[in-house]
Amino acid sequence: MTGLYVALGTVAVAMCIGLLVRSLGGRTRVSSAGAVPEEVRAVLDPGAAVTLVQLSTEFCGNCKQARAVLVDLAGSTTGLAHADVDLTDQPELAKRLSVLRTPTTIAVDAAGTELLRVGGIPKREDLLTSLRPHLPG
Amino acid sequence: MSTQVDPRGPRFAAGVTSAVLVAVLVTGWWPLLAAQAVVFALGGFAGLRYSPYAALYRALVAPRLAPTDEREDATPVRFAQTVGFGFAVVGVLGYALEVTALGTAATALALVAAFLNAAFGFCLGCEAYLLINRLSTKQRKVGTAR
Repeated sequence: MTGLYVALGTVAVAMCIGLLVRSLGGRTRVSSAGAVPEEVRAVLDPGAAVTLVQLSTEFCGNCKQARAVLVDLAGSTTGLAHADVDLTDQPELAKRLSVLRTPTTIAVDAAGTELLRVGGIPKREDLLTSLRPHLPG
Repeated sequence: MSTQVDPRGPRFAAGVTSAVLVAVLVTGWWPLLAAQAVVFALGGFAGLRYSPYAALYRALVAPRLAPTDEREDATPVRFAQTVGFGFAVVGVLGYALEVTALGTAATALALVAAFLNAAFGFCLGCEAYLLINRLSTKQRKVGTAR
């Protein structure tokens, strides 16, 4: 009998996690992480005011969808670029960046300061609104 | 380019996996969990097409659905299957050695992941690769200084 309750409880918990991930995932948060590590600075687009650095791994399920959103956004927004960092073989860098899940996207300004952070597939409009103050024009 | 799969296949497999894991929790019958562990191992180590659930999908489900051009990478899904295998092995050991709490806990965690995939299309193992990697590199004494 206990097993039945555990099964029902587990499904209920999983349901809550799923709804939570769906509603909170992809939201843009203001970041206080400061200067990004050298490895990330190296991929920044020198001509852009802000680079969206997508942190991926080989085993990332939703990175393809996240990439589609970011590439499209960067392509249609002046002063915005997109770059990719694969963390599969760089656990040390992942640790310094405090990234536990992929996709995670960080918005970095030309000076190398992390401005924003998005976990999950970014919500396009939400991200663009948060980026506006940092972009030219 | 790694292998690409119809994303509805793994999703269907996650549904079957969820049902099997619920049955394991309700009955506490470890041979069923052992069978699920074999399914995880086939999908994770041999390749997704060798998973019996994928065969079931191809034979019974796919013919009834409209074909799709949508494809996803097989690598993340396979990785998640190997994580599931780990939990299933711990669960089997728990039940078989009569440490029922361990068996139940491991099975319940695997169920959370399978259910999230089936109901929400959210692959917990894939998202948490970095976390899992961090936990596993912590225990490794050598080779962490890259």
